[in-house]
Amino acid sequence: MHFSTPIFYLVSALVIIPAVLMVAMRNLIYSAIAMIACFIGVAAVFVTLNAELLAASQLLIYVGAISILILFAIMLTRRRSGAICLFFHRQSWAALPAGAALAVVLGIVLGSARFSAGSAPKNPSTANLASLLFNQYAFPFELASLVLLVAIVGAVLLAMRERRS
Amino acid sequence: MTPLQHYLVLSGALFSVGAWGVLARRSIIMVVMCLELMFNAVNIALVAFSNYANAGAGRGEVFVFFVLAIAAAEVAVGLAIGIAMYRLREKLDVDELDEMRG
Amino acid sequence: MKAAVLLIPLLPLASFIITGFFGRRYFKDKSHYLSVASVAISWILSMYVFIQVERGQTLSWQLYTWIAAGKFHVDIGFLVDELTAIMLLVVSTVGLMVHIYSIGYMHGDKGYYRFFAYINLFMFSMFMLVLANNYLLLYVFWEAVGLCSYLLIAFWFPKLSASNAGMKAFLVNRVGDFGFSLGIMLIFVTLGTLDYSSVFAAAGTIGGGMVTAICLLLFTGAVGKSAQFPLHVWLPDAMEGPTPVSSLIHAATMVNAGVYMVARSSPLFAHSHTAMLVVAAIGTFTAIFAAIIALVQNDIKKVLAYSTISQLGYMFMALGVGAWTAAMFHLLAHGFFKGLLFLCSGSVIHALGGEQDMRKMGGLRKKIKITYWTFFIGALALSGFPGLSGFFSKDAILSGAFSGGYWYFWIVALITVFLTAFYSFRLIFMTFHSEPRMDAKVFAHVHESPPVMTAPLIVLSVPTVVAGLFLGIPPESGHIDHFLHRVFAAAIVTPEHQFGFLSGSLMAISAVVGIGGILLAWHFYLRCPFLPAATCKRAGRLYTLALNKFYVDEIYFAVFINPLRRFSRWLWRIVDAGVIDGAVNGAGWLALGAGRLLRPIQTGKVQGYLFAMFLGLLALMVVYIILTL
Repeated sequence: MHFSTPIFYLVSALVIIPAVLMVAMRNLIYSAIAMIACFIGVAAVFVTLNAELLAASQLLIYVGAISILILFAIMLTRRRSGAICLFFHRQSWAALPAGAALAVVLGIVLGSARFSAGSAPKNPSTANLASLLFNQYAFPFELASLVLLVAIVGAVLLAMRERRS
Repeated sequence: MTPLQHYLVLSGALFSVGAWGVLARRSIIMVVMCLELMFNAVNIALVAFSNYANAGAGRGEVFVFFVLAIAAAEVAVGLAIGIAMYRLREKLDVDELDEMRG
Repeated sequence: MKAAVLLIPLLPLASFIITGFFGRRYFKDKSHYLSVASVAISWILSMYVFIQVERGQTLSWQLYTWIAAGKFHVDIGFLVDELTAIMLLVVSTVGLMVHIYSIGYMHGDKGYYRFFAYINLFMFSMFMLVLANNYLLLYVFWEAVGLCSYLLIAFWFPKLSASNAGMKAFLVNRVGDFGFSLGIMLIFVTLGTLDYSSVFAAAGTIGGGMVTAICLLLFTGAVGKSAQFPLHVWLPDAMEGPTPVSSLIHAATMVNAGVYMVARSSPLFAHSHTAMLVVAAIGTFTAIFAAIIALVQNDIKKVLAYSTISQLGYMFMALGVGAWTAAMFHLLAHGFFKGLLFLCSGSVIHALGGEQDMRKMGGLRKKIKITYWTFFIGALALSGFPGLSGFFSKDAILSGAFSGGYWYFWIVALITVFLTAFYSFRLIFMTFHSEPRMDAKVFAHVHESPPVMTAPLIVLSVPTVVAGLFLGIPPESGHIDHFLHRVFAAAIVTPEHQFGFLSGSLMAISAVVGIGGILLAWHFYLRCPFLPAATCKRAGRLYTLALNKFYVDEIYFAVFINPLRRFSRWLWRIVDAGVIDGAVNGAGWLALGAGRLLRPIQTGKVQGYLFAMFLGLLALMVVYIILTL
C-alpha cells in the first residue's frame, strides 16, 4: 500500500462527513458551516490530485465567495420566517434510501470501471494550465465572463426591492 | 498511488449526498447549497480524470474552471430567486412554489 | 430571324407586365398605347417571319434547357415552319385588329388597363403556343391561353353570369386538358421525348394500339379547347366576355389551338386510322349539331358562337379525313372572317347601347353603313359565297372529304353548308333589314362606331375577300397547298390530284347549296316574314329542342353536376361532419380525457418532479449495470 492511500482516506472523510452533517442538520447556519468544511475538504482532494491552482481557486471561490453569499442569504431571510425550522417534508423519508441507492449504484458503476489510466500523475503545472486556458480556451473563457456579467445583472434585478413609484 | 476508481467512488458518494439533500430539504437556500455539493462531486471526477488520463492532460482542470464560473453565476441567480421569493411570500419553502400544479 | 422570333412573344409579355403593374395608377385611359404598340411590332415581326418562311427558311431553335431530370428533358425552344407561320399570321393580324378595335369598344370601362394587360398576356401565350417546339411547352401555354380566356370571359366579374361563364369555361376545358396531359405523358412513356421532331421521327415505331390511344387523348384536349361536341358547352357562355375577346380568343385564335395541335401532330395521327375517323366523326357531328342550334338562337353573339363551333367542327372533319391543308386553310380564312363578324356584332351592340337580342334589332342597314357592309362580306364568306375566302377553304374541305371516300361526311357537311348560309343571312336580315323593332328612342340614338372601331372592320374584310383568291386558286394545288406541303408530307394519305371535272362539279354543288341557303333566308325573313313563326310551330318539338341547345347543359347538370353535388353533400354530411370531424374531435376528447386522468400527477411540487427524475436516472443506471454484467 502506497503512502498516498491513507492520505486519500483521510481527505475523503474530510469531504463526506461534513457533507452528511450538512444535509442532516436542522439549523441552516450549522449546515452552512458544514458546507464550508466540505469545500475545504474538496480543496484538499484537489491537492492530492496535483491541482494546486484549482485547490486555491476552490478556496477563493467556494469558501471565500459562495459560502459568504449563502450566509448572507440566510441572514437576509432569517427574520420573521422561522426559516431555520424548515426541515424535512413529506417525501423526505424516501430521499435517504434513494440517495443511498444512488451511492450504491454509482459505486458499482464507477468502482468497476476500467480506465486505461496512466502510471504517473499528469496534471499540468500552473504555467501549462495558464497557457491552455488563455490560448486554446480563450474564447470560452471570455464567454464565461459574459455569463457572469449577465448573472450579476440578473441577480441584482431579481433581488432588488421594487421602488414604490 | 491511489487508483482512479477511489476518486470516482468518492465523487459518486459526494454526489449522492448532494442529491439526497436536494430531495430532502425544504428550504430553497438549502437546495442551492446541496446543488453546490453536487457540483463539487463532479469537479472531483473531472480533476481525477485530468490527472490520470493518458491523453489531453489538463483539459479536465480547464473544464473545472468553467464549472466554477458557472456555479458562481448559478448561486448568485439562485439565491436572488430565493430572496425574491422570500420577499413575495415571506417563506422559503420549496413546496410553496406550486404554480405548475395541474 | 432568331431575334424576331424571340421578340414576337416577348413584346406583349413586357407590355402585359408594365401595363398590369402600372396601368391602374399611371396609364389609366392611356393603357392601350403600350399594348397596341407592342402587338403592332409583333405583327410586323410576324410578317417578317412569314416572309422568311415563305422563302424556305425555317427555324428550330433550342433556347434554354428547362427541365433536365434523368431521361426527362424538356427545352424551351422554338420551331418555326410553315404551319407556325400561318398561325402567326392569323394570330398577329386578328390580334392587332382586335387591339385597335378595343380602344374604341372598351373606352371608358373601369377595367380598361386590366383589359389590355390580359389581352397582352393572351397574345404572349398564344404566340408561345404556336412557336413551341415540344409538347410540354405547348401544354403550358395551352393552359396559359385557357387562363387568359377565363380572365377575359369573367372580365366583368361583378356580373354573376360572367363569372359563372368564366368558371364553366375553365372547368369544361379542364376535362379536355386532363386527357391532353395524359396523352403527353403517354408520349413520353412510349418514346422518352416530347420534342416534336423526335416524336414525329419515331411515330412509325409506336404500336398501332398505343398510337391510337395517344392520338385520342391528344384529341380530347383539342375537343375541350376547340369546343367540339361533348365539351362545346363553354363557348356559347363565353360570350359573356367583352366582344373583342369573343372575336380574338373565342373565334379567331385560341379555339383554333385544338386544330393547330392536331395538325401539328399529323405525323402521329397519320398512323392511326381509328383516331382519324373519330376526329372526323366528332367534327362532322359538331358541325351540323351546332349549325342546327345556330338556326334558332336569338342572341347575335350566341349565333356566332354556335357558328364558330360548327366551323371548328368543319376543320376537324378536314383533319380527320386527311385534308390537313384544307383544315389549315379554313382555319386561316375562318380566323379572318369570324374575327370580322364578331367585331361587327360588337359594333352593332355598341350602336344599340348593349342590346344583343336580334328580335329587338332590324333596319340598321342605313344607320351603320360600314358595319353593315363589312358584316355582309363576313356573312358571305361564312356562307361560302363564290369568290370569297370561305368558299375556297370550305370547298377544299368538302372535296377532301369526297375524294378521300368519306361521302357520308361529305353529305352531312353539305347540309351544314346550307344551314350555315341560312343562319348567316337570317342574322343579317334580322339585324340590318326589315323594320326596326327596338324602341324609337333607341333607334334614334343608333350611331356608327368611331373610326378606331370601323377601321379594323375594313382591314379585316380585305383578307376575308382576297385570301381565297390568293391562296386557294387553283383549288387543291393553290398557293397554300404548296406552302404547307412540306409540313404535311409525312401525313398525307390521299394522293394528290389535279383540279378536274369532279372537283369542279363539287365546287359548283357547294356554291349552289350555299346560295340556296342565302335565298331561303331571304324568302323566310324578307319576303314572307310570317314564315319563320309558322315553321317553328310546325317543327314543334324539334324547334324547342334546338332552341334549348338540345338540352346538353341540362343533361350535364342531371348526369354530372347534380349527382356530384349530391355526392359532395353526402361527403360533407357523413364523411366530413361525421368521420373526419369525428376523428378530429375524438382526438381532442382523447387528449382532454388523458389530461384529466393524468392531472393529479402534476402536483406542482418541484421536488416531486425532481424525485421522479432521480428515480428515472437510477433505473437507467440499474439497467446499464444489468446489461454490462
